Amino acid sequence: MLEVKKVKKIYQMGKVKVEALRGVSFYIDKGEFVAIMGPSGSGKSTLMHIIGCLDQPTEGNFIIGGKDVSKLNDDRLAEIRNKRIGFVFQQFNLLSRTSILHNVEIPLIYAGVKAKQRRELAKQALESVGLADRVKHKPNEISGGEKQRAAIARALVNKPLIILADEPTGNLDTKTGEEIIKIFYKLHRQGNTIIMVTHEAEIAR
Amino acid sequence: MGSNVINILPGTSKGWGGSISASSVDVFTLELADYIEKVSPSVKRVVPISQGSSLLIKGNFNIQATIIGTNADYQEVNNYNLALGQFINESDLDTSRNIIVLGSELAEELFGNNNPLGEKIKLFYQRRDYLFTVIGVMEEKGKGLTGDLNNQAYIPITTFMKKLSNSRFVSYYMAQAKSGKEAAAAVGEIEYFLIKYLEDEEQEKFNLFSQDQILDTISSVTASLSLMLGGIAAISLLVGGIGIMNIMLVSVTERTREIGIRKALGAKNKNIMSQFLIEALSLSGMGGLIGIFFGWLGAYAIAQAGKWPLVVSPISVLLAFGFAVIIGLFFGLYPAMKAAKMDPVDALRYE
Ligand SMILES: Nc1ncnc2c1ncn2[C@@H]1O[C@H](COP(=O)(O)OP(=O)(O)O)[C@@H](O)[C@H]1O
Ligand SMILES: [Mg+2]
Repeated sequence: MLEVKKVKKIYQMGKVKVEALRGVSFYIDKGEFVAIMGPSGSGKSTLMHIIGCLDQPTEGNFIIGGKDVSKLNDDRLAEIRNKRIGFVFQQFNLLSRTSILHNVEIPLIYAGVKAKQRRELAKQALESVGLADRVKHKPNEISGGEKQRAAIARALVNKPLIILADEPTGNLDTKTGEEIIKIFYKLHRQGNTIIMVTHEAEIAR
Repeated sequence: MGSNVINILPGTSKGWGGSISASSVDVFTLELADYIEKVSPSVKRVVPISQGSSLLIKGNFNIQATIIGTNADYQEVNNYNLALGQFINESDLDTSRNIIVLGSELAEELFGNNNPLGEKIKLFYQRRDYLFTVIGVMEEKGKGLTGDLNNQAYIPITTFMKKLSNSRFVSYYMAQAKSGKEAAAAVGEIEYFLIKYLEDEEQEKFNLFSQDQILDTISSVTASLSLMLGGIAAISLLVGGIGIMNIMLVSVTERTREIGIRKALGAKNKNIMSQFLIEALSLSGMGGLIGIFFGWLGAYAIAQAGKWPLVVSPISVLLAFGFAVIIGLFFGLYPAMKAAKMDPVDALRYE
């Protein structure tokens, strides 16, 4: 379903070349839960960005749903990000000015879903992560754990092929982090494909 | 006033430093008015006018008014109708009667809803009292460029000259050409005659103002005024536009992360572009509305102060709003494009 083929990512910093990825290859099937581990600066985020179609490889190919991403234009990439991929970030990345509900609605807005259905789907997604009673709140009115749940709801709402999580517990305390991980387990049991960057060996096990 | 009216004013003797002193040359008599009327074939009438400012007193209420001493023809030359009673007639003039015709505003102020006809009012002119009987009230007249006609009162010119001013000379003449077409000829005839009569080759003792001339002067003044205001408006729009661009650029930079997040969630470049363009447009549109409101308020205040009618043309309002929106569009375009072109990963990393 998803294939990374000899992917290289090279950053040109003035005269210095930084090789963030040096020819990575792997294949991920539907329903898998993949953990990516590695020291800081080893290129994990770079890889996630490529899989998330936010960035493109310098060399090699990335194929998702049978399509080679390196051959697509900006608009097609935006569509893939919108419909096929749900991204969960370490820093939550919610829009601070609007409500949790509206935050979760954003992917649906770009997908062209009508307002009424949008609200319905967003509420469902928030319910599934246990945030039904927080829909009207602004991000700064809820806790870190709740923010990450909202971010997961936002990643889920368009029913993506794959959920990408880049150190989703990195900004949370241990206990809250465990609760978030449990949500990912639950999503995996429900049939979602998940790729997660993590430092915790237990999850990767 | 019709386009065939020519004002004949006494020349003003030049004051020092190029300024014009207020003292006018005493040359205009009643006889001269009749004479001009007779010798100028294109001139229908010459109406003499004496003018002064006075206090009108009714009981313990008083009001400042412009007193016009004139004759029966004034009404027709000025195309000015009565609301009540009658205007000055020949017998009033012959016997220098103390009768007065009030402008609509004066009648309203002094008498309210009561009938002013036959009532006596006191006229306080240059420290002396005179008793006048009201015989008429003029209809309400739009406020013209020559001042507020509704605040004027009319008395026989003979009364004015014999009792009030004690002078052989009147303030000015109002001549009426036989038709609008003959106005230019009438100006020529009067000029020719007065130069001869007053032995005034330099034309220092009199000035002619035809309605056309006044309109010409006014329109050239308003044209240069419009040009100047237009220039100021253009500069304001430019400055405002640059202001909008600045605000939008700051907004784009501040919201770099938001742009990154939106792109990660599937926003296309054109979605980001339209988001920021709409923001710039609503900014400039709001500015446009506020500007229209204050523009209207300013126009209203000036109209009130100058007692002019308030005319705000819908075209100028639309034009102003349209321009504001166009400025928003033009100066919002660059920041919006900058936002749309951001690389998603770079935008997400932005602190
Ligand atoms: N935009 C960039 N420009 C230059 N170097 C970069 C850029 N992004 C990442 N890198 C470099 O690439 C390497 C991998 O970064 P990253 O993928 O963020 O690592 P990780 O997520 O594993 O900590 C690091 O050395 C980092 O400095
Ligand atoms: Mg990282």
